[in-house]
Amino acid sequence: MQTVHGYKEDAKKQSDIARKLYQLKGTEEEIGQVEELIQLIEKYEKELEADNKEKLDKFDELKETYTKDQLSYKVRDKEFTVDLNTESLSGIKVPKVALPKYRDWGDRLYWMLMENVPGAFPFTAGVFPFKRKGEDPTRQFAGEGTPERTNRRFHYLSKNEPAKRLSTAFDSVTLYGEDPDERPDIYGKVGESGVSICTLDDMKKLYDGFDLVDPMTSVSMTINGPAPIILAMYFNTAIDQQLKKFKDENGREPSQEEYEQIKVETISVVRGTVQADILKEDQGQNTCIFSTEFALRMMGDIQEYFINNEVRNYYSVSISGYHIAEAGANPISQLAFTLANGFTYVEYYLSRGMDINKFAPNLSFFFSNGLDPEYTVIGRVARRIWSVAMRDKYGANERSQKLKYHIQTSGRSLHAQEVDFNDIRTTLQALIAIQDNTNSLHTNAYDEAITTPTEESVRRAMAIQMIINKEFGLTKNENSLQGSFILEELTDLVEEAVLQEFERINDRGGVLGAMERQYQRGKIQEESLYYEGKKHSGDLPIVGVNTYVNPNPPSEDEINSMEVARASKEEKQQQIKNLHDFQDRNADKSEEALNRLKEVAASNGNVFEELMETVKVASLGQITNALYEVGGQYRRNM
Amino acid sequence: MQQQEVYKVKHPVRFVTASSLFDGHDASINIMRRILQASGAEIIHLGHNRSVEEVVNAAIQEDVQGIAISSYQGGHVEYFKYMVDLLNEKGAGHIRVYGGGGGVILPREIKELHDHGVARIFSPEDGRQHGLQGMINQMLEECDHPTPLELESDAAKAQQGDYQAIARLISHVENEDVTSDKLQDLLKITREDVPVLGITGTGGAGKSSLTDELVRRFINEVPDKKLAILSVDPTKKKTGGALLGDRIRMNAIFNERVYMRSLATRSSKTELSQAILDAIRVVKAADFDFIIVETSGIGQGDAEITEITDLSMYVMTAEFGAPTQLEKIDMIDFADFIVINKFEQKGSEDAFNQVRKQYSRSRMLFHEDHDTFPVFGTIASQFTTQVRTHYLLQF
Repeated sequence: MQTVHGYKEDAKKQSDIARKLYQLKGTEEEIGQVEELIQLIEKYEKELEADNKEKLDKFDELKETYTKDQLSYKVRDKEFTVDLNTESLSGIKVPKVALPKYRDWGDRLYWMLMENVPGAFPFTAGVFPFKRKGEDPTRQFAGEGTPERTNRRFHYLSKNEPAKRLSTAFDSVTLYGEDPDERPDIYGKVGESGVSICTLDDMKKLYDGFDLVDPMTSVSMTINGPAPIILAMYFNTAIDQQLKKFKDENGREPSQEEYEQIKVETISVVRGTVQADILKEDQGQNTCIFSTEFALRMMGDIQEYFINNEVRNYYSVSISGYHIAEAGANPISQLAFTLANGFTYVEYYLSRGMDINKFAPNLSFFFSNGLDPEYTVIGRVARRIWSVAMRDKYGANERSQKLKYHIQTSGRSLHAQEVDFNDIRTTLQALIAIQDNTNSLHTNAYDEAITTPTEESVRRAMAIQMIINKEFGLTKNENSLQGSFILEELTDLVEEAVLQEFERINDRGGVLGAMERQYQRGKIQEESLYYEGKKHSGDLPIVGVNTYVNPNPPSEDEINSMEVARASKEEKQQQIKNLHDFQDRNADKSEEALNRLKEVAASNGNVFEELMETVKVASLGQITNALYEVGGQYRRNM
Repeated sequence: MQQQEVYKVKHPVRFVTASSLFDGHDASINIMRRILQASGAEIIHLGHNRSVEEVVNAAIQEDVQGIAISSYQGGHVEYFKYMVDLLNEKGAGHIRVYGGGGGVILPREIKELHDHGVARIFSPEDGRQHGLQGMINQMLEECDHPTPLELESDAAKAQQGDYQAIARLISHVENEDVTSDKLQDLLKITREDVPVLGITGTGGAGKSSLTDELVRRFINEVPDKKLAILSVDPTKKKTGGALLGDRIRMNAIFNERVYMRSLATRSSKTELSQAILDAIRVVKAADFDFIIVETSGIGQGDAEITEITDLSMYVMTAEFGAPTQLEKIDMIDFADFIVINKFEQKGSEDAFNQVRKQYSRSRMLFHEDHDTFPVFGTIASQFTTQVRTHYLLQF
């Protein structure tokens, strides 16, 4: 927080110096070299830092670069060439990145220090110079019933996309780390609103037919409490695919040495994200299952395992504000709590002796985009605060300074009345997300306020993104949020509000101290009530809900006959049967594996490393129940 | 919106509130429980992610009139039906089940659930028509009656260890001015020597978490013995309602060897309920092997717990202010054990030494080794800490 304020103050001071120099040089041009003038110029030149001087010297060159037709640049040793403009139907060349027309050095320097082009510190406009070619940030979201059904849905959704970007929703039984069961309160939720996954067999079926080591495949999994177990199942699925390939090619089983080789190679390239953000669970979303302390430790174990095994393309956590926002927080609290959680993970991993540059690139973020004005700049503010803190406080390298985030449009902004209007809200939210250069985007289906989305509604949600990306003209430019008075103002206002919130958290003993006092939870509830009150009174107009209400609302019969996605009895039964088959098949091995896991956990070993073995023979529920014995169950709060 | 009239309850009305199994959406149940409480009900709130059996067991042990559940995660038809079935099976069909889940629960499903015996599933349309208070009023009015009681047979059953009968008798001693004599006639206490441990301390010191850790160790380390917990929370003077919030922190009580009952202070004006002695008598007669009484948060001058229990434990944290404050705390003079919880907090070591000094001063033990004093540092929120159990095991 002091770091960010310090950086801003420096930027102001340095640009004031640059302005003075610009003015003095101008005066010099007009009246010639006067002794006093020369002295002043010398004085200010001394005060201007060397890299800022270099920035100013190279500004014209930079501008020149972006007016060319093409540009080559490097990301992680890979060379990319991009076209720098797009010709419209009218024949105008729309630049991909437009630079300011400022002439005053003060303005130029201030802009470079606070904004800069996309891909350059402080990354306000984006962490990459350009959007990825051939890969829109769109994710195909699915999760329903059995793994077989969800797998079919994934194939259907991604069949025309070269990039397979899958996002997985799990049913609530899985989210709470239990196995499917006949008991009615469990049975009713098997395969509802998400896919039921409780064994390695399930996981293999879920991603069957997708090459998980293909660089164009990226899989995200929305799971938190049991995340270490589910992630171990996922990695094993990827490894097994490669083992099968080996067997097919060589006609034999690999040796132990070859197996280890395949394992290491596989997990070092596999691409994706697991949510695994336990702090926000305690603050907002409530799918905590283990004691917070033990859950944090397992997150550290995952990260440590990633470092030791050079897992470079997988995000070990998706630090999420989405659920904080869904629980009712306003955009400023969402951003402040989430970034503060992010810094808490950084501090915790550092305290375990991990190198910042080895783990920071494995962190990713996840925000909600609603309709409040602050959402227009949420990515800009997040990137600027993060990069400045990472560079100036933690001495992190450039790759670690880049905050990458996923946006999901706000589910809470969707309403059950006039569901057709919801797509309009989603479109606006998606538009600002794309303009803000989000690294990944999910658009909600209009019917999510009432049910699990259907194929038809998901198709429309997808079309929203495609129309913005492919049809909408301004998207040809990739820094359209830069240079607007109001957006710069909003960025500063939101940034300042976030920094103040950091201070309030700090006053309460940091994120964990504040959590113990229920600070975040209380604030989220307060803000939720404030919103509900405004919505109820009509102060906050919501079209079709509290104003412009439909004179002919749908009848009860119409609601009853609406298509809702529910898992069938057969599917639930199949999941239970498959679970029992798996457990029976591994009956002689599971107990020993679970005991070993408990031992590792009790003796402070790396739980994740052991889980990579345990999941081969034990089911999700067996594993969580074993871990409760050594790590403790979550204790609820009021 | 005009302010809606609040229904005034004529009897003590108690509710168990929670959100459904595997369901973390607790925003709406939190709003509902607050209004219920503000309208004069005693609320035993269980929080999110609760199984039907947990809710039903709590409802029976707490002898409530109603259960209120929010369910936003699907599976509501199975959940609510199972709840009604299980209540009936356990002879508690009189407990009324209320629920809500926004637009997630379809009108036809609401009808199906009403037909199955759910008292009421509220729809978004109900909310618009009646408002929050209107829905709460309906629930209160329908539950405003005494819970069933058959004194003689319940007394007999309680002595056999029947949790429902125990719960009814405790309600009886809470609601009526029964003289202890009459109760004595009904309930034969065979063992007068059953230990009663009183746990008291400042609000927010972590009494419930500590109790939970004790219960867990009791279950794991003392086989076959049964435990009863009587937990007291304050009644709000203004509304008459109470938030009985101790169950939410307890993970270990979901065990057939554990009975727990939450009591509101009602008119006692102390940290205990006027019915507490009689309630202890009931659980003693029911042949529990160990009884824990947990009070509501207390001030420096309160020490009533020591009068009604055999052993007492005072739970505090390092945040008591200057060391002279310790001289004002009555419980340091009386407690059999003193626990400084949240020991990970700054200043806990200093607090530990200061408390031991005060302990020696107040009991004139100037020459004793401070290490022998029953003053302990604990971190009940951390699972791996060994809360010392050997005192417990002496029982």
